[in-house]
Amino acid sequence: MSKSGPTASLNDHDEVFRLVFEAAPNGIVVVNDQGSVVLVNPQAERMFGYSREEFIGLRIEDLVPQRFRSAHVHHRKGFAKQPSQRGMGAGRDLHARRKDGSEFPVEIGLTPVPSPEGLLVVSSIVDTTERTRADNELRRYAADLERSNADLRNFAHVASHDLQEPLRKITAFGERLRKHCATALDEKGNDYLQRMTDASHRMQGLIEDLLTFSRVSMHQVPAEEVDLNQVLTTVLEDLEIAIGETGATIERTTPLPSIHADRSQMGQLFQNLVSNALKFHRPGETPRITVSAMRPVLGKVTLEFRDHGIGFEPRYADRIFGIFQRLHGRNEYEGTGVGLAICRKIVELHHGTITALGEPGVGARFLVELPLRQPSTPPES
Amino acid sequence: MTQSRTILILADDDPDDRLLTREAFEEAGYQGAFQFVEDGRQLLEYLDSSRKSLPGVILLDLNMPRMSGYEALTELKTDQALRRIPIIVLTTSSADEDVLRSYDLGVNSFITKPSSFQELTEVAKRVIDYWLETVKLPPQS
Repeated sequence: MSKSGPTASLNDHDEVFRLVFEAAPNGIVVVNDQGSVVLVNPQAERMFGYSREEFIGLRIEDLVPQRFRSAHVHHRKGFAKQPSQRGMGAGRDLHARRKDGSEFPVEIGLTPVPSPEGLLVVSSIVDTTERTRADNELRRYAADLERSNADLRNFAHVASHDLQEPLRKITAFGERLRKHCATALDEKGNDYLQRMTDASHRMQGLIEDLLTFSRVSMHQVPAEEVDLNQVLTTVLEDLEIAIGETGATIERTTPLPSIHADRSQMGQLFQNLVSNALKFHRPGETPRITVSAMRPVLGKVTLEFRDHGIGFEPRYADRIFGIFQRLHGRNEYEGTGVGLAICRKIVELHHGTITALGEPGVGARFLVELPLRQPSTPPES
Repeated sequence: MTQSRTILILADDDPDDRLLTREAFEEAGYQGAFQFVEDGRQLLEYLDSSRKSLPGVILLDLNMPRMSGYEALTELKTDQALRRIPIIVLTTSSADEDVLRSYDLGVNSFITKPSSFQELTEVAKRVIDYWLETVKLPPQS
């Protein structure tokens, strides 16, 4: 507050201060050195349900729930010995008591004011009911979310393990059936058996991918300096056969940066994106893929994986990241539809985003935005 | 090698797996005797009652009712004679924690049950080749 000019009279000040006091959004209760209320503002009247007349002469302890009263007297005497401006009840949940006996959570600031009649204490009171409720709700929501995420991870893991068990039997006994009874079955019977066996192999693939996906989800990302150039080189070496078979050209048009990340997950991300680009090339054309990085902005780098393949309808841009989502028939392109879901999981675990841009018959671009540094995590145990 | 004693014992609660494992070993050329038990408790009882003629190798599933493979392992390894019998874990699990815990408890091999019968036969071949035809097993006392 700036000092008022020399022309302002004391009475003007009094009027301004009275208006501020009356209009303050906090409840204000002024107590004398005996602990008796000497002054309140309208907000305090609304909070506690006492009229101004009823307030005057109440002891401050009348505004405190019964169970805290004796402690309050003790605290008040302590404050009187060493008065200072401070918040009340640091670290404790404070509660106030209304005229009707009901309680509400509060936050209180205390200001000692020396006066001719002795030490006055100004209590500025905020009713935190709404905030406390919102806080609790938020906390409960976060806990629920965490639990349901954990349940989901656990479910995928356990389910895929347990689903594998009977599937293994179907596959194995199917093989036994073929070996021992193939001649007993007619052509139709053998066709049925073949279809059954193919289906169980597909199921096996789905379950294995689901397991991979749930493992990624359960993974904690350790912060490690990872050279993405090296990651790409390794991935291209691993994909050498597929690249050779398709005759693909893969061009790195800019150097890639080093970032804080999980090395193996970056490998998986790159591998899935490059494999995806190799797979969805236009029939009869050799795949052309470029990988590049834009200049980091605000601590984030955007990587681009661009192909000139079959592309996709822009309206599917989000759907393709869903687990088991496929845009094409199994006989056109193989795969379970987990690859890009894993990509998104990995990118999200690294606090980044992945976006797909596509145009049918022209190609697809995958933009991966990753922070250069991961937010500091507690040290590994 | 012709031995009259049971060479292989398989502890597995799953009747399908007992059947498939036996058939896989037979297809792989195994002609010796095969003993089956359905849980860790039965395994310990069988071994305790056959001290004069202990099996050469134990094939052990981990996840079994009543007494798991882990519990059976822990008990086996406290017995002077039983602790010498080589143990091959044959389980659905491929989880690192199961692999580590098994080796910590002193198993000799850890094999994840393959998903096809063909592969299971290959596994059986290798087990026979190594454990029954290459390795010298502890002699009977």
